[in-house]
Amino acid sequence: MKFAYYPGCSARSTCAELNDATHLVAAKLGLELVQLESATCTGARELRAIDPVGFYTLNVRILALAESHSLPLMTICNTCTLNVLDAHAAFTDDPELAASINVRLAEEGLHYSGDTRISHFLWVLHEDIGEARLRDMVVNPLTGLTVGAFYGCHITRPPARYGFVDSRNNSALEKLAEILGCKPIDYTGRNECCGFHTAAHDEKVAIKLTGQHILSAKSGGAKAMVTPCPLCHTVLDGFQREIEKDLGKKLNMPILHLPQLVGLALGFSPRELNINRHIVAARGLDRYAAADRVGAD
Amino acid sequence: MLAPAAERVDARRIGQAEHHDTLAARNARLAPGDTLTVRVRRSGDAASGDGFDEFAVPYQKWMRVLDALNWIAENAATDLAYRWLCGSKMCGTCAVRMNGREVLACWEAVEPAMTLEPLRNLPVIRDLVVDRTRYEDKVASLEPWLERASAYAQFPEPLDHRRMQNASKALDCISCMCCYSACPVIGLGDVTNFAGPAPLVQLGQTALDPRNDPQKVRRSLALTDIFSCVSCYKCEEVCPAHIPIVTRIIEPLKAKAAELVPAMAKHSFALRDIVAARGRVDPGALVLRVQGLRALANVSRVIRMLMRRKLNPLRTFLNIRTAAAGAASRILGTRKPK
Repeated sequence: MKFAYYPGCSARSTCAELNDATHLVAAKLGLELVQLESATCTGARELRAIDPVGFYTLNVRILALAESHSLPLMTICNTCTLNVLDAHAAFTDDPELAASINVRLAEEGLHYSGDTRISHFLWVLHEDIGEARLRDMVVNPLTGLTVGAFYGCHITRPPARYGFVDSRNNSALEKLAEILGCKPIDYTGRNECCGFHTAAHDEKVAIKLTGQHILSAKSGGAKAMVTPCPLCHTVLDGFQREIEKDLGKKLNMPILHLPQLVGLALGFSPRELNINRHIVAARGLDRYAAADRVGAD
Repeated sequence: MLAPAAERVDARRIGQAEHHDTLAARNARLAPGDTLTVRVRRSGDAASGDGFDEFAVPYQKWMRVLDALNWIAENAATDLAYRWLCGSKMCGTCAVRMNGREVLACWEAVEPAMTLEPLRNLPVIRDLVVDRTRYEDKVASLEPWLERASAYAQFPEPLDHRRMQNASKALDCISCMCCYSACPVIGLGDVTNFAGPAPLVQLGQTALDPRNDPQKVRRSLALTDIFSCVSCYKCEEVCPAHIPIVTRIIEPLKAKAAELVPAMAKHSFALRDIVAARGRVDPGALVLRVQGLRALANVSRVIRMLMRRKLNPLRTFLNIRTAAAGAASRILGTRKPK
């Protein structure tokens, strides 16, 4: 199984551990990843507001790069995923826009036909690996690990893209956690927003919102939280000390990237998965690592 | 490539079936003769211990939340306060929260067990009735009308439907306040000055109209703190008029703000310029550019991030381009913000 792989900016910078863990875990799962080195940023939320045509062109270019390899596209960031999905939809709905983008892409010999399949790593696990094979590959069931699944927004909303009347009904992450042997908990923050997209100019909103989400996961009994989005991870983990200061209490909630949780169940050690690169130490997770791998740390 | 057909799943919709996430699936759970358990948030003298009163309501075919409320008011709690007028998704007065989700009582099918609460983010007057003054004052302050700087070129004035496509979406708004209740940023109170989704939709009706005077639109946008929108799509999710609030109203208004009040969009221009120059976002460069030296004031965070190799000062300060830089600068150009 082979994918064109688009890590996005965050997994190439502040969350580089996510990119490393994705490569490690994908290889173990039998996924061959062709990393799109010349792919640009998808424009986050900022570019799509101020320069829609530039936004669509950058994203369709990513789809065209996948097409040039004749491969489906795998993403690991919620916002990147929604951006390429939205650009794909705009390309399909508006033939004039599509033609003008292809003129721009032709300058470097690229062309998009509109056929690239777009799949987040979470969806690849469910659709391409499948529950049965994933269960077979779990060598270290994470029994006893109560985990708070944190979806973030752009993998489950807007409704026009994903089809949920109520995004709280999404249970793709909990289902995956169960396959890995974890016990997912229910808590109010699971489908809420981390506030990342206003954090570059003002962190207050992210700190206030995410503090409530981590608190609710903690009071629900979560020993760790897992997220499919590096932007959510940046707030949940990277801002956690500021969040603690704002709340006036310690949280010490380890935050895992989705491939790291999968990796633990596949037998990798926390160190191999670069969990030590997080701001909040995940020492408590060592006991869930495969017994013969803890020594590898 | 794909898993065998027998186990093929649509991963984007996992949970939809078991949680009855469609109207048909929800309706299928009820049949005439069933009894609904309805908990209603009460306030003032009517409130009991936990603030909720529970009612057993006989289900009737095609029953809406409003029908359940009417049954309760006629048969069990004649002092129950709730608002409605048209009963047909026009007046926007009957919005409540049903099981934690904002719905129009007149348009939403009942569920076997329902907890009904007033909308959030507005003061409660009594039971399910909220005070809309805060919203109405905000909308009025945004001057949601058309102003013309000069005389019409001709009459009737030619108007291209493409240029009205976003404003016409905003005109579908029935001011029900579902989005205002669902917005997490509004929920934070005065942490920001964010106008909120409903006032922005009202503003969009005229600010996204190409005939409006840009100076007037500029004045209005300056009062919205629109870049405090976190793009969570909670508003779109609950909008009973199915207005794509984020993509067709808030983002086009952000584009207007970037054009007319560029200082509001400083971080958007910064991200754009960094992507155009480097191909990808360098978070260190973005934060430095947006926050200036203020970013370094949080010394402990900078040290923490350096220790965990989450920052790469070399890349940030040497302005290192990525393999994507050529394409990004060709597509985005190297325009400087106005």
